[in-house]
Amino acid sequence: MSRQSSVINAEDVFANKQEQEWIANAKQGDRSAFNHLYTLHIGRVYALCLRMLSNKEQAEDVSQEVFVQVWLKLEKFRGESKFSTWLHSVATNTVLSHIRKQKNWVQKVFSIEDKPLAEPVGNEIQDLSDMDKHIMRLPEKARLVFVLFAVEGYRHEEIAAKLNIAVGSSKSQFHRARNLLKEWLQHE
Amino acid sequence: MNKPITDQQLQQQIDGLQQDIQPSRDLWAGIELAIEHQHQSAEPKKTTFAPYAWAASVMAAVLLTWMVNKPMQNQQIQLTAVEVIKQQYQTEKNTMLVSFGKPDISKLPEKMQKQFTELQSARESLLMALEDDPENPDLLNLLKWTQSQELSLLEQLYSPKWQTI
Repeated sequence: MSRQSSVINAEDVFANKQEQEWIANAKQGDRSAFNHLYTLHIGRVYALCLRMLSNKEQAEDVSQEVFVQVWLKLEKFRGESKFSTWLHSVATNTVLSHIRKQKNWVQKVFSIEDKPLAEPVGNEIQDLSDMDKHIMRLPEKARLVFVLFAVEGYRHEEIAAKLNIAVGSSKSQFHRARNLLKEWLQHE
Repeated sequence: MNKPITDQQLQQQIDGLQQDIQPSRDLWAGIELAIEHQHQSAEPKKTTFAPYAWAASVMAAVLLTWMVNKPMQNQQIQLTAVEVIKQQYQTEKNTMLVSFGKPDISKLPEKMQKQFTELQSARESLLMALEDDPENPDLLNLLKWTQSQELSLLEQLYSPKWQTI
């Protein structure tokens, strides 16, 4: 058992070292190294974008934008946190910024109440779980809060700050999302 | 009717979510193109646009905050707050024009052109409403927000087209 875990640790250490090397090279402008980082993390970034945006094409566009932002900001990454943590913070902010830009002034000023989609979405995406399809069907605010809290592990205080809402609103949107998901899962 | 889903069952579903989902197309080509584009255009943008725009924005923001927060003693001061917001908009717009040239609104997608027209009309309506009620902080904030949206749309005219790749 301890032998197995030491093998796993050695693999982790090697992978981490390899990633550090790619980061250092990418900082120097090495696009091939950056491509390795892209390959390593695109799945996780795309999953986040898809769940938050509930739209395949937008999720692809924003995933691209995330990696362009990462390339531009890479110099600022000092390694105090894990690269994946930093990358997810950039990804979350890019998605939220995209959502804000998409809204027209009428939606923004009058804060029109969002409703769940009538039918499950995401059928065109291969290997997407039923749970993911339900998440993508949630109303926008409830979906954003649910993904950030339950899937990505942010605290309600952090979510409230990111979405510019009260902490209580974040909690109630999460509650709403959970109830809708339970209801849909029950009728499967 | 099926049995209700418990919190624990829901949590199991969440825990079972896949961490990685692969996009259906290769996104790298677009990213590389955008990086190349950024590389070519980054330097002139940094030297021409950023310092003036930042200085103008900071000055306008400080002035505006002072105008809005200061207890209003007469109408003259409130009218100046509206003027400051208008001036901020004009300064930022002029800086953009100086840096990038005159924008061609028709190059924006149809949806954005519509939004742009709506925003312009909203701005005009707000300015008219402020003439009647110059002390209304909601109207002042709305005007500020509407102008920033217009500027943001204008900025998109200069954005790289890599997103559509």
